[in-house]
Amino acid sequence: MTDGLIDQSEPLLSNEPSVALATLVAATGSTSKKVGTKMIVGESGRLIGGVTIGGCVDAQVVEAADALLETGGRRVLSISLDDDEAWEIGLTCGGTVDVLIERVNVHDIVDPVAAAHVAARASLARGESAVIATPLDGEPAALVLSEAGARHGTLGDAALDDAAAEIAADVMAGGSRIAPIENAGATRQYFFDRQSPPTTVVIIGAGQIAMSLTRMARELDMRTIVVDGRERYATRERFPDADEIRVGMPSEIVAAIAPTKRVAVVLIAHDYKYELPVLRALLRSPVGYIGMLGSRKRGDAVRALLSEEGFTDEELARIHTPIGLDIGGKSPPEVAVSILGELVAVRSGKRA
Amino acid sequence: MTAFRAIVLEHFRHPRNRGPLDDATASAEGANPLCGDRIRVQVRVIGDTIHDARFTADACAICIAAASVLTAHVRGMPVNDAARVEPRWIHTALEGEPPAGRAKCATLPLDTLRRALAASGGVAP
Repeated sequence: MTDGLIDQSEPLLSNEPSVALATLVAATGSTSKKVGTKMIVGESGRLIGGVTIGGCVDAQVVEAADALLETGGRRVLSISLDDDEAWEIGLTCGGTVDVLIERVNVHDIVDPVAAAHVAARASLARGESAVIATPLDGEPAALVLSEAGARHGTLGDAALDDAAAEIAADVMAGGSRIAPIENAGATRQYFFDRQSPPTTVVIIGAGQIAMSLTRMARELDMRTIVVDGRERYATRERFPDADEIRVGMPSEIVAAIAPTKRVAVVLIAHDYKYELPVLRALLRSPVGYIGMLGSRKRGDAVRALLSEEGFTDEELARIHTPIGLDIGGKSPPEVAVSILGELVAVRSGKRA
Repeated sequence: MTAFRAIVLEHFRHPRNRGPLDDATASAEGANPLCGDRIRVQVRVIGDTIHDARFTADACAICIAAASVLTAHVRGMPVNDAARVEPRWIHTALEGEPPAGRAKCATLPLDTLRRALAASGGVAP
């Protein structure tokens, strides 16, 4: 699932025998959420997440989900975002959304959808993306394909599973979508739901900005690792929301993490004693994002020093400095918002 | 620019003996708890002699320069002599004393070297 829904849904899932899982499977026009976004509707009336920004569209999904919890099964609900009255006054976004709604027996180990989400979560816990393939109509079935190539479940037979695996490889790179599969003379539509592990944000420097970052990053479905050489700063008391706290030589800690493209490193110690060695450890790694607190002038000076050591212009251009979006903030929480804004922009592909 | 500053910057940009020592016989790590300098000094002691000494550090220029001159100085030196090196030797090597409040930056490598030598069984820290 996405947008932190896994964490949020834990209490719901443990208290509900079955839920309706609503997934945005297709959208045209200007929608506010990504294909794959989910909402969970519990039998008790609980709601987690949302497939649109809200308003009457989500209300229709909840209504359909309530009905489906009674009858069981699955359906695709197509909703027009046009509204005659809103159109008159220019307040409609336009377009359509298709939402797959399916009842999931949460604690039933043979429920293929429940089992698929458990398998996908295991994949995410290993740091691998996963794709869940599921038919849009008919009997429920699900096949999970992990980034490493492992399979869990089935769509019905080996030929179908092989065809789905080919599409999943493309979805892994391009994003969730519907795709048809022809098998035994019939064509059926399937939704390929890509789920990716959360971005890990490695924070170098356990100061006040770091404290704000760890609090806010959790809301954005980002893991945080706080790194500092100073035991008195990098404490659990100061960082109750950090996923990990590591004290030691920051450049060695970063190298041991072996950052992948899903890791962002933010250098906010504002101290060259950490910046230079950590940058040396990062600039030739596949790390997804490198940001450094400081002025443009200071950033240029750091680049000049590293250039003398043989780092290329292309490698040095990976350093985002000044870090964050220019929102004019100065206080630690404001700077944290600016940094997280940039990380969200990178995650969504709006910034390189 | 003062001689001290010029020497510190030269060693910071081109540190001697920086990097891990693969066949070290002893190692110690030290930190300045508030400013955050961190250094590991590794030595290879054979008999009573330091055959090699290297350091790894995420540290400021003064600390790196002190580690650079110190590790170069103690190579080939008897362990007991190395353990008796005083902070003023570092000041002499760097041709000056660190500015106020930065004394520990220069002495951290020396303290850490002494602990590494103690770990090698040579001398008391």
